[in-house]
Amino acid sequence: MTHHMLLLEEALLTRHGQRFGGFDLRVDPGERVALLGPSGAGKSTLLKLMSGDIVPTSGRALLDGRPVAAMDPLQRARRRAVLPQSHQVAFGLPVELVVSLGRWAGDDGGRWVRQALSWASAGHLLGRRYDRLSGGEQARVQLARVLAQLADVERGLLLVDEPLASLDPGLQLELLDTLSRFCRERGHALVAVLHDIQQALGGFERLLLVSRGQVQADVPAGTAALPALEALFGLRLQALQVPDGGWALCARRLETAA
Amino acid sequence: MDALLKAPRWPALPGWPLAVALLAVAVVLAANSGAIPLGLADWQALLGGEQTQGAMVLAQLRLPRVAFAVVVGAALGLAGALSQGVFRNPLAEPTLLGIPSGAVCAVALMLTVLSAWAGGLPAAWRPFAVPVAALGGAWVMCGLLQGVARLLVPGAVAGLLLAGLALNALAMAVVGLCTYLATDEQLRNLTFWQLGSLALASWPVVAMLGVAVAGALVMSRRWGQGLNALALGEAVAAQVGVPVVRMRRMLVLTLAVLSGLAVAWCGLIGFIGLLAPHAARGLVGADARRVLPVAAWFGAVLLLLADTAARTVVVPAELPVGILTALFGAPVLFVLLKRAQREIGGGW
Repeated sequence: MTHHMLLLEEALLTRHGQRFGGFDLRVDPGERVALLGPSGAGKSTLLKLMSGDIVPTSGRALLDGRPVAAMDPLQRARRRAVLPQSHQVAFGLPVELVVSLGRWAGDDGGRWVRQALSWASAGHLLGRRYDRLSGGEQARVQLARVLAQLADVERGLLLVDEPLASLDPGLQLELLDTLSRFCRERGHALVAVLHDIQQALGGFERLLLVSRGQVQADVPAGTAALPALEALFGLRLQALQVPDGGWALCARRLETAA
Repeated sequence: MDALLKAPRWPALPGWPLAVALLAVAVVLAANSGAIPLGLADWQALLGGEQTQGAMVLAQLRLPRVAFAVVVGAALGLAGALSQGVFRNPLAEPTLLGIPSGAVCAVALMLTVLSAWAGGLPAAWRPFAVPVAALGGAWVMCGLLQGVARLLVPGAVAGLLLAGLALNALAMAVVGLCTYLATDEQLRNLTFWQLGSLALASWPVVAMLGVAVAGALVMSRRWGQGLNALALGEAVAAQVGVPVVRMRRMLVLTLAVLSGLAVAWCGLIGFIGLLAPHAARGLVGADARRVLPVAAWFGAVLLLLADTAARTVVVPAELPVGILTALFGAPVLFVLLKRAQREIGGGW
């Protein structure tokens, strides 16, 4: 028997006259899925359907076979964690308190808080005020909060919405690496909204290409996905061999790519 | 920090014996000052059960008054901290948002338009009519604010305050209308609320408000960490497992009870709810589990000081304490505005 962790069945959302879906897809434990698509395509909406933040107008979104939006908040928090796009925190809460909120549904205890901070390379921020941190430091702390939430869970679900967009490239790769390793070690599925095609191809095994509120393609990550990506973004994409054996992506606008 | 990590429901406040001692000293000093200065001999007489004039003044006038200032101040400080947490807004003081105005509006309606109906209540219920009306008015106002904050100005710090301004004006317009329609006797009853005074102090009222404050502290203990989660946003709080809707409902009801009851017996006393939580945050940090009880303490101390000043500066007359708190509190609001702008930046 295959265990579908997350299953969307014709999940459809209509909002402000816009239509998202119906989405039909499943995510299995341990999978790493990237959501790609132009701005406003509905990636974040799809992620919110998966997380249970919004209820589909029709159809179903199931986590472990149960409607995710109707699950008990505590139980749901033990099965899936969400790293949102923006990190606004009212009041100057201390860093360790922000991270400890990830343990709301689990046992308390500073052990996971410290551990999660060090996974996110943020151990040195212990004791600082969150609102006085730089954008990159805040992103690390939020990542630590999410890691703390699923640290002692197996085969859970981690949903990530462009958390890296505003960070410098070195930090992006580092945090993405941390996320992947964390999920691999526990069998968590990772679903991430991304903007960077190179990151999606490098760190994920499956791409969901979203535009105009629909999943246009569901393809394995690899050079074979390039034609679908070209169609999605209206770009010319070329994979170039680099000396260390890997390859790098070159993106150009259609008109100039004669 | 370790204590904070290990006891997430209620971190220790190591300074609490000192805080209690300071409050006790303030109570004694406040009870001693007034039109007739009292001293050690009067306390000895009181404790010894002698019927001296000083002991009578202490037992029947000063102590209820001072105890009233303490519980009302605690209620206002706690209400301020709760309202800032629930509305995720460092400037969300109940009087700025118009929550007590909602209570005043309900009471004004009851005393004038509905006075015939209220007079028809069984005599035993009548003393509760004003507090219940005030509580209901405060609660309705909280509901309106939440609706406005959610629909019209989601997430905007200044937007919420402007919405509060509009609701405040609306409530006060209704109060004005009631004043216009009121008879002379109704008018006397009404004007009392617009000033704010602790002159109605009595032991039963102190006891009732004391119970409300104790209940609110239990509530804050239950939901302190939930308020911390709410500081990360409603969505994040729900994602980590907080039952946001239920928590909000309980906390808003608590807020309405505190604000409404304080208004019912003392009228409008502003700025304590703004100063107390900010002072608390300055002293113990932003953790709501610490801020809530410490804000109650600061509120108690601040109102005790303000009321003692109100009773003593123009002896034998007395100032309405609401005038004093506004006089000193309003300038502090400017400082907080400046700081909030620096910390929130462009997010207005």
